[in-house]
Amino acid sequence: MGKREIPSSVKRGYLDALLFNIGAIIIGLLISAMMILFLKQSPITVFSTALGRIFSDKYTLGEVLVKATPLVFTSLAFAFTYKANLFNIGAQGQFYAGCISAVSISLALGGKVPTALLIVIVLVASFLSGALVGALIGIAKAKFGANEFLVSMMSTYVVQAVMDFLLRTVLRETKAEYIQTDPIVREAFLPGIVPGTRIHLGTLIAILSAIAIWVLLYKTSLGFRIRAVGRNSDASEHSGINSKLIFVVAFLISGGLAGMAGLTEINGVQHMLLQNFNSSIGSFGIGIAILANGHPIGIIFSSILFGFLNVIGTTMGRIPGLNIPASIIDLIQGIVMTSVIISYFIRESVGRRREKRMLKSGEVEA
Amino acid sequence: MAENAVELHNVTKCFSKVIANDDVSLEIGKGEVVALLGENGAGKSTIMKILYGLYSMDEGRIVIDGKEVRIKSPKDAISHGIAMIQQHFSLVFPHTVTENIVLGNVHGWLDLKEAKEKVGMLAKKYGFPVPLDARVGDLAVGVQQKVEILKALYLDARILIMDEPTAVLTPQEAESLVSFIRSYAADGNSVVFITHKMKEVMESADRIIVMRNGRITGNVLKSETNERELARMMMGEELEVESEEEPIDVSKLPVSIEVVDARKKNRDGIAVLDGVSFSVHKGEIFGIAGVSGNGQDEICEAISGNMKLDGGKIIFEGKDITNESVRKRIEEGIGYVPVDRYKDGMVMEMTLSENMMLKSSYSEKWVKNGFIDKKGIDEYTDEVIRDYQVKATGHSDIAHNLSGGNQQKVVLAREIDAGRHAIIFNQPTRGLDIGAVDRIHRAIKGEKRKGKAVVVVSTELTEIFELSDRICVMYRGKIMGIYNRGELTTGRIGLLMAGVEDGKA
Repeated sequence: MGKREIPSSVKRGYLDALLFNIGAIIIGLLISAMMILFLKQSPITVFSTALGRIFSDKYTLGEVLVKATPLVFTSLAFAFTYKANLFNIGAQGQFYAGCISAVSISLALGGKVPTALLIVIVLVASFLSGALVGALIGIAKAKFGANEFLVSMMSTYVVQAVMDFLLRTVLRETKAEYIQTDPIVREAFLPGIVPGTRIHLGTLIAILSAIAIWVLLYKTSLGFRIRAVGRNSDASEHSGINSKLIFVVAFLISGGLAGMAGLTEINGVQHMLLQNFNSSIGSFGIGIAILANGHPIGIIFSSILFGFLNVIGTTMGRIPGLNIPASIIDLIQGIVMTSVIISYFIRESVGRRREKRMLKSGEVEA
Repeated sequence: MAENAVELHNVTKCFSKVIANDDVSLEIGKGEVVALLGENGAGKSTIMKILYGLYSMDEGRIVIDGKEVRIKSPKDAISHGIAMIQQHFSLVFPHTVTENIVLGNVHGWLDLKEAKEKVGMLAKKYGFPVPLDARVGDLAVGVQQKVEILKALYLDARILIMDEPTAVLTPQEAESLVSFIRSYAADGNSVVFITHKMKEVMESADRIIVMRNGRITGNVLKSETNERELARMMMGEELEVESEEEPIDVSKLPVSIEVVDARKKNRDGIAVLDGVSFSVHKGEIFGIAGVSGNGQDEICEAISGNMKLDGGKIIFEGKDITNESVRKRIEEGIGYVPVDRYKDGMVMEMTLSENMMLKSSYSEKWVKNGFIDKKGIDEYTDEVIRDYQVKATGHSDIAHNLSGGNQQKVVLAREIDAGRHAIIFNQPTRGLDIGAVDRIHRAIKGEKRKGKAVVVVSTELTEIFELSDRICVMYRGKIMGIYNRGELTTGRIGLLMAGVEDGKA
């Protein structure tokens, strides 16, 4: 009695997560490497050339963080509702809602108000528009008992259709050639923070958001209520917590987080909005959140890993004379993601079996 | 004894944190009616679900008709002639009786007419008046159970397992069930019924197997035992009525909780609270006795605010709180220990500290400007662990790593703290060992002496008698009467619990 140590089972849990994830990533990369054999190339040459290029070139290395930035937001979005035992798989749509606000405001006010003020406005607006989409899903769940999984999934298509409609009408570029907006003015760009790379202020905002979400979940009473409802909504209701309200709040914040990726991608990277913009960051967010065990700080690192995989793929596609198709990116990311998710289930079952063994040997008996 | 239909040898089963069955061996003879008796959570259902293939065992052997078999699914069990009727029936409500009975045994062409004939013959043989073309959802629960039994008979079951079969039945229905069990066993079939009701066991079983904490603590022929011995095997200790405390005159004490004509109908339109009125005074323990499921849980949930009444009022400290939220009632100082701590009382995956602050996340107690005072709540939790002698290493232990009794102490400590003026205890000691029960009883009496209004719901008469200053008995959503302690004998309260007016029949 009175010991203040972290229980050994908890420590083992963290260690497990780390070992299994690293193992899964290595296996995923090995399988991807074998795919390169089908292209009649040596995987070793391809990987070593690509890695060499990334680490010798500051710009390319910086791209890792640029690619990781929106993934931090979409995976935070998934992880946040996950803590309330809800599934928001509509981060893609909430991201698009954020993009629409970001691009509209930047086009309207860019150059007319100071950059700092504009960025604050876009930040708030992109959060709110994602939050609106999220809150609607939460309300559908709380009021009508709708399945949030389906509603959030379908909401992506709705927002996407709205975005396409706007791109073809009011937001369409002045020359009306492509289905995209005009570029926003330079004064509306998120300022770069590392010279010689594309790393911009949005990366910093992403990291700060992850930390803020960690504080919110684990240090505040609201976060406590969200986690309590997620684990046991009956006991929470008995404790005077309105679990339906928590559903809405969780979805609202989750949607807002995904919406903020609109700011970083429009004002930080693309500087315009086009059709099928960053069309896979929503789904990757789910995998990254699982990879990080839903932990906000872990999400920063696993997003960087996926940013890195993306850059490796791009770099491989650009190695002269090897003829590696650019779609290798999707292949590597997909295979690594799949092995990470499979490893999650293996880890769970190994953990359960170990608990049983411990129980039998009487280790847990108090 | 005749030869054995089923033998279980050394069966062990663990759920992630609990040993549900620990080296359990038992045998069921042909033509024998075996009662599996034990408290909730003793492992009775688990061992039978293993036999029926719903759970897989970690260790052990199953022998049927002298041959060792492997049962991996209910389908295997059925092929060995085993059928199990769950506590919650597995019936398809929109389908007819016949369709339900043949379900699970249809291959290719479905000849409903022939099936109906066979079912009709079976029903006749065992004297079941079941309308074969009626939709199951329209039938009374007792008839639905007969459908379940017919389903088993249709599959030529020789070993019938029933989980708490009488829990949902009226006394008459229960009687006809017992006579069915008798005639079915007389044909050489075996019956196992799982129960925690002593009376039923003495009425219908040939042999009684008693389980406690996952182990078998008794295996006796009915003719060679009595209720007292069975109770000892079930509880592990001799039942003992505590010495009387000073009787108090509650009429001089101020009223705290007033329930006025509380009414509630459940989803099926049956009145679960049928005009319940009583008042609880400050400084008294008001005991609510009764067979479980007679409206006790509902009255607790109505006072705590977790269930809205259809009619009637709840008045607390002079204020009408009928329409107030749970949160408001917690703020008013009502503590509530729910009957199911796993479901309603704790968040099992959270730490003890987090569980301690569950009810105060809105108050300023452990929260400053929206941030949790982690140090404060941790220190307080360690204090609780010390004061209540909770077996835990510290505040950061995960709740589900604690034993049931220790979890209950944590909930109790929280509610005693939250209930500044009144506390409702619903089955506060269910499933706990004697030592823990004693400590909890002392804590409850201590709160009464502090002048709080205390409500204790219990199905254990000893608990009711030991704690209560006044006792009311609930039966089918009604109060059969409110008595001072000493006015009731065990025999009289038993009659009241069975619904006999005034307990004098």
